Formats: sequence, structure tokens, C-alpha cells
Amino acid sequence: MDFTLCLTQRSRMVDSKRMRMTSNFQWPLLTFILLYLMSQVNSQKKGAPHDLKCITNNLQVWDCSWKAPSGAGHGTFYEVCIENGSYSCYPSEKTNIKIPALSPGDHEVVISPLRDFGSSISKFILSEKNVSLIPDTPEILNLSADFPTSTLHLKWSDRGSVLPRHSNVIWEIKILRKKNMEIVKSVTHNTTLNGKDTVHHWSWTSDMPLECATHYVGIRCYVDDTHFSGHKEWSDWSQLKNISWSPDSQTKVFPQDKVILVGSDVIVCCVTRDNVSSAQIGLTKCPLIHLDGKNVAIKIHNISVSASSGTNVVFTTEDNIYGTVLFAGYPPDIPQKLNCETYDLKEIVCSWNPGRPTALVGPRVTSYTLFESFSGKNVRFKRTEASTNESHQLFFQMLPNQEIYNFTLNAHNPLGQSESMILVNITEKVYPHSPTSVKVKDVNSTAVTLSWRLPGNFAKIKFLCQIEINKTNSIQELRNVTIKGVENSSYLVAVDKLNPYTIYTFRIRCSTETFWKWSKWSNEKQYLTTEAIPSKGPDTWREWSSDGKNLIIYWKPLPVNEANGKILSYNVSCSSDEETQSLSEIPDPQHKAELQLDKNDYIISVVAKNSVGSSPPSKIASMEIPNDDLKIEQAVGMGNGIPLTWNYDPNMTCDYVIKWCNSSRSEPCLMDWKKVPSNSTATVIESDQFRPGVRYHFFLYGCRNQGYQLLRSIIGYIEELAPIVAPNFTVEDTSADSILVKWEDIPVEELRGFLRGYLFYFEKGERDTSKMRSLESGRSDVKVKNITDISQKTLRIADLQGKTSYHLVLRAYTDGGMGPEKSMFVVTKENSVGLIIAILIPVAVAIIVGVVTSILCYRKREWIKETFYPDIPNPENCKALQFQKSVCQGNSTLKTLEMNPCTPNSVEVLETRSIVPKIEDTEIISPVAEHLEDSSDAEPENHVVVSYCPPVIEEEIANPGLDEGGGTSQVIYIDIQSMYQPQAKPEEEQENDAVGGAGYKPQMHLPVTSTVEDLAADDDLEKTAGYRPQANVNTWNLVSPDSPRSTDSNSEIVSFGSPCSINSRQFLIPPKDEDSPKSNGGGWSFTNFFQNKPND
Amino acid sequence: MSRREGSLEDPQTDSSISSLPHLEAKIHQTHSLARLLTKYAEQLLQEYVQHQGDPFGLPGFSPPRLPVAGLSAPAPGHAGLPAPERLRLDAAALAALPPLLDVVRRRQAELNPRAPRLLRRLEDAARQARALGAAVEAVLAALGAETRGPRPEPAAAAAAAAAAAGVFLAKVLGLRVCGLYRDWVSRTEADLGQLVPGCPA
Repeated sequence: MDFTLCLTQRSRMVDSKRMRMTSNFQWPLLTFILLYLMSQVNSQKKGAPHDLKCITNNLQVWDCSWKAPSGAGHGTFYEVCIENGSYSCYPSEKTNIKIPALSPGDHEVVISPLRDFGSSISKFILSEKNVSLIPDTPEILNLSADFPTSTLHLKWSDRGSVLPRHSNVIWEIKILRKKNMEIVKSVTHNTTLNGKDTVHHWSWTSDMPLECATHYVGIRCYVDDTHFSGHKEWSDWSQLKNISWSPDSQTKVFPQDKVILVGSDVIVCCVTRDNVSSAQIGLTKCPLIHLDGKNVAIKIHNISVSASSGTNVVFTTEDNIYGTVLFAGYPPDIPQKLNCETYDLKEIVCSWNPGRPTALVGPRVTSYTLFESFSGKNVRFKRTEASTNESHQLFFQMLPNQEIYNFTLNAHNPLGQSESMILVNITEKVYPHSPTSVKVKDVNSTAVTLSWRLPGNFAKIKFLCQIEINKTNSIQELRNVTIKGVENSSYLVAVDKLNPYTIYTFRIRCSTETFWKWSKWSNEKQYLTTEAIPSKGPDTWREWSSDGKNLIIYWKPLPVNEANGKILSYNVSCSSDEETQSLSEIPDPQHKAELQLDKNDYIISVVAKNSVGSSPPSKIASMEIPNDDLKIEQAVGMGNGIPLTWNYDPNMTCDYVIKWCNSSRSEPCLMDWKKVPSNSTATVIESDQFRPGVRYHFFLYGCRNQGYQLLRSIIGYIEELAPIVAPNFTVEDTSADSILVKWEDIPVEELRGFLRGYLFYFEKGERDTSKMRSLESGRSDVKVKNITDISQKTLRIADLQGKTSYHLVLRAYTDGGMGPEKSMFVVTKENSVGLIIAILIPVAVAIIVGVVTSILCYRKREWIKETFYPDIPNPENCKALQFQKSVCQGNSTLKTLEMNPCTPNSVEVLETRSIVPKIEDTEIISPVAEHLEDSSDAEPENHVVVSYCPPVIEEEIANPGLDEGGGTSQVIYIDIQSMYQPQAKPEEEQENDAVGGAGYKPQMHLPVTSTVEDLAADDDLEKTAGYRPQANVNTWNLVSPDSPRSTDSNSEIVSFGSPCSINSRQFLIPPKDEDSPKSNGGGWSFTNFFQNKPND
Repeated sequence: MSRREGSLEDPQTDSSISSLPHLEAKIHQTHSLARLLTKYAEQLLQEYVQHQGDPFGLPGFSPPRLPVAGLSAPAPGHAGLPAPERLRLDAAALAALPPLLDVVRRRQAELNPRAPRLLRRLEDAARQARALGAAVEAVLAALGAETRGPRPEPAAAAAAAAAAAGVFLAKVLGLRVCGLYRDWVSRTEADLGQLVPGCPA
């Protein structure tokens, strides 16, 4: 206590002396003294106090300490004298002393040990630069934790009152985790000292839930005093404080139901006393991070957006499952398209789009608050679970006398908030409701009033409304009207310039005059305006009846815009200078009246009447001015109408009338008419009644004062089509080289256009072949004639071939196309002269050749005979083979030669021409005979050796004796027919003809006549199967060799005369009538020809 | 469905009629309802699991069977009890289920507000459990068995408390409640099946 007082007094002295020194100090002297002192200190280092060190924690008091000299006893006292302007000395029992902070600059400090004679004094030069500023160790006033947010709250005092002046202080805070004190965070925190003790707060949110592990906090500080020139150092660390969670017995997973930002990292831990075997987030397993005890944690990186119900994190222990749910989402997006408007100037509707979905629902969904800054009122958006992209709306009640509103829409969710602003003049943002209760009321036939309701308080604004007026078959009309807004919501406008007796459809929409949006259209309201008198008389025409006694008056119904109401009736009157006839009250559907008039000039007047009144009369003269110079012209339509033109005629003072009718109808016919102003020279006649392919007749009348004159008569088509029928044509005449064809006109109804010509095709062809081919295919063999002269009705086709079939086709065509074709087949007549020539020439040639050949043969007959037909022995001269004629002649039933079996022998045949009857059997060709002929080669004489073996006859014979004697004998039939073969036949043909082959060989071909041929055909198989009876002689028929059959190349082998057995070498049936040419020598042959010649 | 439920929601009106054909008809009708609800309960469970996210619904995932105050799963020895006792247990369980299902529905409305089918099924399930329980009570009355009077509903408060603990626990609790609903409806169907003539037990 005394020391303190003393120190205080000396300090005051030092202060006063320092002030004086600063004013009177002499620098050269000071330098000298300083050097002297330094040398003294160095010389007395040993055995003197040394290592003077000064620190301060408050910049006001320096705590200086030194080391005692060696050998100094425990009870050593020191006197510390400090030269600080004055010289102040302080006793000290210790080796330190607290002195007031010295003024800037060097100060001599002399430390003298007292009562220690061995020691010497020490002198030090001390300045602020040698002093260290070390703040006191800070102390944590409080450390608390907010476990749900994993936030630590630190509280400490800066002890600012200690330091004399304002200084910056840097605080370093360190966070340590787990029992092994892992530093997880070290941060600095800057404050300023203000001379008072201030408590500071600092919070830190842990990435790991605080429940997972114990967290420690320490703090130190650093005073950054800019005026202090000494050494500044950090204070010591405060005592660590910790936060730990006291788990109950239940295992828990932290954090619970935390909402986190998508893409962030999160640590989830399980505080448990059991062993955790695994952990997973959703389906993904995570590595475990072991904490204190059995607690574990997992770290989830870059978490993805959660589903509606969150992301499940599950820890599995041996016998249980623990988990938590994380909700990864986004902070609210800035509300987009914020718009505030009013429907009725009573309530403001603000709508916006929430923007990007937050993926957070339920309690975590974004909440919106609409704040109006001028009034300070706000409304909150009631949470809905509608679809995320749906526009949201908030209703704000308008305030009286406030037109400008400044809205701020704030969006908030657990991850953040955002806002959007809008400043509106609400009178310019009126979007009226759709007008309702639209009503129409009559004013007159051309004007109505429209009334409607538009709910809202619009007294201060004006409306611009659109009235849409729709009329049947008319373009819709839009009329704009400006209306002053009212409070009672009822509005009324007049709509004029309407047509009488017309159905109108009205609808309305409105906006404010300072346009923002049109309201929706009101419902349509249909209204029929009232009637007015017809504005014009009906369009009228007249026709004289065919007998010229009656005048038929036609008129057209008035169009709706001229009728001005429902036409009830018409009045027709005809007046001349002499008389007036009238027909009254002709009911409306009737548009025609007939009056019996003479041929005087009348003026016909037609008036239409409706419920309001009568139309002005429509007048027309009855007189027709004749026109002798009239030609019928043709016209074809274009598109839907037929254009007509005429020359301007100044005489036509009123109008032109074109009337038309279907040309196929009888007169007077009238389909319709059209009136054209007198200054016109062209028009297009259009009518829904026009049909393509139908011929119409148009009459152009010009109107003069006295009446109408027919100026032109035109037939035409709206569109030409191809004929639907072919011209009916016939062949008038046919010769060997030409055909004359004649055709008829096609009826107008079937022509369907103006006939432009005919196409005639012809070609050679039979009915069944060419019919299948088209003649239009451009084939070269098809000849075509285009007949463009439509008056031509015949055509002669020349240069044809005689007796040839021709295919003729005729078709008509119009500009609309080709009609169907009609075809015919015609055969030209035969060319008789040519035929005759064609026959006669070959015949004559044949005759000449025959005559020449005959002459030559006759002259060379001897040579020919010797060469080709030498005399051969007659086998009949053979005695051994001679049979009695009676055998053959007498017994007709005996068909075969009965012979006893014998051994073959040789027979020498000698030529005995005189004995032999005249039988031309020189051509016996049989196997046996051939054999003989072969043998004759060796013996050129006329000796023929015949091997004969009687065959066994297998036939039922009437003679039993013969049957018995037959035994196994065989008869061999030799083809005798060949003897009479008139023409040489190929060998193979002969073989083919030899029916039966190796078995039974027929002796002849029975089908000699047609009758026999048929029979033979029927019994062919039967006859070839076994023996062929020879007894049916009745069927035998000798055929003349020159008969047609004989020359038929296809005819079968023909035999002449009786069949005969070669065994007998005779004809089995001898000729009965020797005079008959049929039996005479076997008929015509070259051999006969030559053989008979000598007899000639 | 609704007509059948409507006819069963007030079965007490017919309980005085005790003729045998009527009893059989009532048992048959209640059994049919239980059979139908068993199918619906299975669908509800599937729907519930589908909306809770992984690993709910995975084959290997078996969360702890949280105890539900006032309602336990059908005991293994349930089948050995006399029929009236079994039906009494069924009726009691079915009476305890609606408030639990309501708690689950409310929590799911927060978690899955855009799953209207799940929410509708939960709402229907509560109503159907109530109707089936009443129908079983009516059968018991028709059988002449003593029926228990209205009992407090501690399950609801317990369920609400559990659900407030955390979303994960609420999900697990909901799964448990849906499972219990299925088990008890199925159990009721089996118990009634034993009373239906010609129906396999």
C-alpha cells in the first residue's frame, strides 16, 4: 500500500519533471550521459541486476522485472531510480516493479541493490519500444448452444475500461470437437474498445449437429493500439468451455427433420450406445465416421433435391433401425410476373408466379406476405398445396382515396426469403368483369338501346366499350363507345344504323379509357329489329305465253335488306292507255302472275307489301321490239359463271336484262334473269342452279323506252363435259376394199358440251381378239380419222383388204373430253377376180405339168418299165399253190384254206405268163416274200423259193371236221393290201399301220367306209385282240382310188377289193362284177397306168 | 362399395333381430366386407410405402415395430380363442384403428400433400375400419355375446405424440399403423370366415 502511494507521488513528480525536461533538454548533453551510462552498465554486468523487461496490459502501468545479480540473497532490496524528467526512485523488495507508463523517449533506469555490497548498480535505458503490450487473458462469460440449429452462442467481455483509449481488438476464437480436441474452427473477430467494458456475442453454426459430440470453445485477444509503439502480443487463451448433449437412454439420429439447401454437405450422426453396423441415405450406403463412444456420423456431400416426403437417412444397429429425414430444397425464388390489378376498384388482386419450385411442402412450403408500404397493411398468402407452377393470388382491400399502391411481396421458407415489388396506380389497372345482364330495347326499326351491368365502383373513371354487332350473312361490326363509369353498375348505350327486321346478335366488352385489359365478352344477345316498309319494289320480268295471249309476270322475292320485314303479299297491275288490270293481294310465296292481255303496250307494276306498308312500285314494259338480225352464239363459262359481253348501245336507255333457261326445256322457259345497268357492257351470269354439262340458253335484252329488244341469243355451258354416249353408227355399204359408215347425232342432253368432232378408229381384227385391245393406245396398226366437220355424218374407209374383218370404233368429243366409244366388226367382201385367178393359175400349171409328164413317160415307157417294173413271175402259175376256184367261190363260209400240216419245202416258180390271169400282185410284200426276194439276189433268175409252213387256225369254224383237223396249225396273214397301195408309204408308217404287231395280224383295215370306220372305231380293241372274222363281207366296200378319201392324207390305209389270204395267194372274195371299176384290177395306180398302156 | 359400407355403418339397428337366416346373412355380409377391406388394406400399405421414399418398401427394410398404445398386433394365440372372444378382440382393434389412421393421414397430408390417392385411401381406411368394427359388434350382438362399450382412444394421443417426435418416426409409425390395419382386417376376415357356413376357415 505504501509502495503504491509512493509510486503515485513519484509518478506525479516524474510527470512534472518530464514536462520540464521536454522544454529544457539539451540534446548534446543527453547523448553524452547516455554513452556514459551504457559503458557503466556493460562494465558492471556481472554482479548487477540485469535483463530488465517491461510489459503492460493496459498501457498505463508498466510491469518491469529484472534478474537478480548472482549471489544476491533472498532479502535483497532494490532501489529503482528512473530518470523521467526528474529522478524518481522506488524501493522494491522483489525483482520487479510496476511503474507508471513513461513518456515517449528513453529513460535511464538505475537499479541499485541495497544492503548487498557485493553487487553493483545497474543502469538501463528504457523506452516504450522496449515494452510489450500483452492484454489480459479474456474470459468467456457464457457459452450456450441451440441444438436444433447446431449453433453455439459465445459471450465475453472486452474489459474496455482497462485501456485508456480506443483501440481495435482482434479476438481469436477456436472451436474444438470431441474429447481429443480436434480443432474444427478458428475464427477472428474484430471489435473496438470504447473505454467501457462491453460484452460481445458471437455465434457459430456447426456443420455437425452439436448433439453428436462435445464442442469446446476458447478465446484470446490482441490489442491493436496504433499509438503504442512497443511490441504487441496475443493474450493467453481463455479457459476452454464446452457444450455437450446429455443423451437419454433412447438412441437418436441428428439432425431431425432438417431443411437444407440442395447441393450442400451435411453431417448426420447417430447418438447411441449400440454398435451401428451401417448407415444409408435413401438407397446409398455411407461410410461411418466414428465419434466419441459409439456415436457415429456420416457425411453427405452435395445432397440432391428431396422428394415430397423428404430424404430418409437410416442407421442400422444390431437389432434396430434409427433414422431421420432431411428435406433438401431451395430457397424461394423471386416472385415472378407480379401484377396487381382490380376488377371492380374495390379489391386489388395481386398475382405472381412462384418461379422455381422449392421442393418443400407442408410446413416447409414457401409463405408469402404482401405488404403495402403506404398504408402499412399486409396480407398473408394462405398456404395451398396446388401445383407448383400455378399462379398465386392475393386479395388486398382497396383503401379509400388511395390510388397509388406500393406492394412488396415477400416469399419465405426455411432456406431463405426473397421479395418482389410493384408500384401501381390502380385506376390504370382495371380489368373489368365481363358485362352481365345484357338487354336490348327498341327505339325504332333501325335503332335499339343496349343495357348491361358491370359490377364495381367506377364512378371516377370512364369506360371504353366495344359492341360487337353480328348480322346473319354479314360481316361483323365493332362499335366503340365511351361511357362514364357509375357506382350502380348499370350502363346503357344506344345503337343506331341498324337494318329493319333483321336479327342482330350483340355482345359487349369494356376496358377503362386508360386501357389496361379488355374484359371478357359478355354473353351474346340476339334481337330482331322491328319492320319498316320495303325499300324497293321487286325485280320484275315478263314473258308472253307461247300462244301470245297471256302475259306472265315474274318477280323475285325482295332480299331481306330491302324487304324490311316479312312480305305478306304483292300487288300487280298492268296499265295501258286504254285499260288497267290489276291483281291484288297475291300471297308471298307466289312470285308469278298471268294476265290475259292483248298485244298492246302495257306498263306492268309490281308492289310488295309487309305489315308496315307497300314498297315503291317496280315497273316494266310489256312490249318486245323485234330484232331480225339475231344469231345464236356459243359461250362457255369460266368457274362458276358465264361471262357475257356486248357493245355499248346508246339507244338502250334503261337497263339490260339477261334471262336464261335450260335449253332442253320448252318455251317459254325461264330459270332466272338478271338486270344490268344500261351503262354496262359485260356481266357474268352466275347461278347456283347452273350445272356442268347442261346447255343453257341466254337471252340478252336491251331496254328502251318502249320495251325490251332481244339483242343476243347465246347457248352455253357453265362447264363442258365429255359426251356420255357414243354416236350410234351403222355400216351402210361394204365392198372388197371399202366400208361406208354412217352415224347419227347425239342428243344435246347427252352431248354435254359443244360437239367438236368425231374420232374414228379402225384396224384389222376379229371380234374376239381386237375387242380386248384399246384402239387408243397409239398402236401403229390402228388407223385414226379425226372428223372435225361435225356436219359430216358418213365416212368411207377405203384401201381395205377383201374378205377381212375390221374393227371399227367411233366416238364423239367435246372440249370437255372424249365420249365413250362404240365399236363394230365388219368383214369386207371377197375379191372374186383375184380368187378366180388364184385358182386357175395353179390348176393350169398342174395340168401342163401333168401333160408334159405324161408325154415324157409315154415316150420313155419302155425304158421306165424295164428300169422300174421288170416282169416278175406270177405266183398263180404255181401249181402247188393253185386252188380250185370253187373252193373260194362255192362255199362262202369257208374262209381259210385248210391244209394239212406239212414240212416246209421249196417251190420253184417258173414264169408262165400265158397261164397267169391278170392280177397285179407283183408287189406282194410279206416277211416271207421279202425273204424270198433276199434269196433271189443270189439267184437272179425268176426262180422264187417259197418256204411254206401251214399255220394252225385258231378260229371257230362251222365245220367241225376242220376244227378237229386244225390242231395247232397257224395261219399267217400277209398284208395283201399293200399290193394295191397307190402311193408308196414310209416304212415306219406301214409298221404303224400294222395294227396288232406280232400277234394277230388283221388282213385288212376294215374301216373302208365311214360306216365301217365308225364301227371299227367302236370295236377297235375288240378287233385287235383276237382273230378277226373275215366273213362280214357285207361291210366291205370297195373304194375308188380317186375318191376324196383316197387322197386324204389323213385317211387310213385303204384296201381295194376282197381281202385275201396270203396262204392261198388268192383273194378270198373274188370280184363279182368284173366290169365295175371298183373291182377292176384294184384301181388307179402308176403300175396300172403303165401296165395298161400296152393294152392300149 | 359405398352402399355396402352405408348399410354396415349402422348395424346396431338390426341387432335386435336374431333370427338365424338374418344372422347368417349378417355374418356373410360382414365377412364379405372384411374380405374386401383386406384387399383395400393391402393396397393402402403398398401406396403408403410408395410415398415414403427409400428405403421404405425395399425388401430388406424392416423398421422397428413401434409399440402403439392401445393397439397390438394379433397375438399368435388369437386363433385358439373362442369365436366370440376373437370377434371381440377384432372389434376392439378395429375401433382403435380409425384415430390412428387419422393421425397418419394428417401427417401424410403435410409430407405428401400432392398424393391425393394415398390421403383418400387413409381417410377411407379410417371410415372402413369403423364400419367393419361396428359390423363385427353387430355380429357379436346377434350371436348373443357381450359387447364392450365405448372405450377411450388412448391410441390416438400416443400416435400423435409419436408422430410429433420426428418425421422418420412418424413415417415408421404410419407404416406400423397401416400394417396393423391390414393385419386386423385380415384377422377379422378369417375369424368371420369360420362362422360362415361352407366357408373354409
